[in-house]
Amino acid sequence: MADHRVCRRYAQALFSTALKYDTIRSVEDDLNAIVGLLQTDEGFRDFVIAPYTGREEKIATIDRIFSDRITALTLQVLRVMLEKRREEEIEGVRDEYVKLRRDHEGVIYATATSAEALDELQKKALVSKLETILGKKIEADFKIDPQIIGGIRVAYGNYILDGSIRGALSNLRDRLRHDLLKQL
Amino acid sequence: MNKYALLGLGIVFLVFGFLVKDQSWTRPEMFSGLQLDLGKTVTNIGVFLIFIPVINMYFYVPLKEAMDSRNQELESTFTEAEQLRTQMRTMKTDYEARLMKTEAEAREQIQNQIKEAQNLKQQLMSEAAERADALVRHAQVEIEQEKKNAILTIRTHVVDLTLAAAEKVIGENMDSDKNRRLVAEFIDTVEVTA
Repeated sequence: MADHRVCRRYAQALFSTALKYDTIRSVEDDLNAIVGLLQTDEGFRDFVIAPYTGREEKIATIDRIFSDRITALTLQVLRVMLEKRREEEIEGVRDEYVKLRRDHEGVIYATATSAEALDELQKKALVSKLETILGKKIEADFKIDPQIIGGIRVAYGNYILDGSIRGALSNLRDRLRHDLLKQL
Repeated sequence: MNKYALLGLGIVFLVFGFLVKDQSWTRPEMFSGLQLDLGKTVTNIGVFLIFIPVINMYFYVPLKEAMDSRNQELESTFTEAEQLRTQMRTMKTDYEARLMKTEAEAREQIQNQIKEAQNLKQQLMSEAAERADALVRHAQVEIEQEKKNAILTIRTHVVDLTLAAAEKVIGENMDSDKNRRLVAEFIDTVEVTA
């Protein structure tokens, strides 16, 4: 299980160094690629996570795979994490790094959930509208959930903008129950 | 007369009789036709006079003392019996008075107890009635509350069923065009309230 404080510490060190060398986006892309590989390639994941595989073997393999594909900074962080037996925290470091980068750039991360996939025009229109009303740059992640029946629900930070049928019915249910309780 | 004088006089008569019994002038022939021996007569008188104090001393006085003692004892016994009878009467009277007083007190106590019991009975009945009324009121309140709760539960179920039905109908009638319109409407109307 990933240790949040450890992930935060690695991510902060990585982000400050990337900021210094102006490679924030490159490092994030590297981390996304590595995490994507860990999530999709079970063999690679077992090799990296396995405790019985030696550190030198892991580092040598990582060097062979990623030395010409990712930045030196990202590769160096990977080596350090493998040396310190922090393989399981790689995904957490990526998440914390992205948060730090968004905080640095003043970007709001939003999750838009709809019953059906949105087309590109709708996605752009939604992001544009959110940037207008929130006054900040928006990074949106689009998800599909048929349970909301129709419409769309946007979640960012501690807020939810609910334009779904499910949300409307839920609000209606709450109002009706509230009215019923008031009658007592 | 003193007993000692009688005794002395008797002795004098006795001695005198012995001294004169054989004298010629004491013979019966001397008393013309009367057969009286003066010596014997005086002697008898002396003996008689001696016997009087002796009898008095050894028979009459002890007998009289015994009789007086017996009389006194009887009188004492009667007096004591009379005193005991008087005392008994007094005690009987006192006992009867106390008995009457005790009976009166007992009757009064019984009456008081009956009165107290009746008051207690009234009090208990009153309290029981109040408690019964309170229980009835409480039960009525609970019934009313349960009734409201049941109505609320039913209405909540109705709301849930209605919304479930509405959800099902909306879901069945929802298509891509309507969904796109809903999304477009959301994008047009969405706003953030502070």
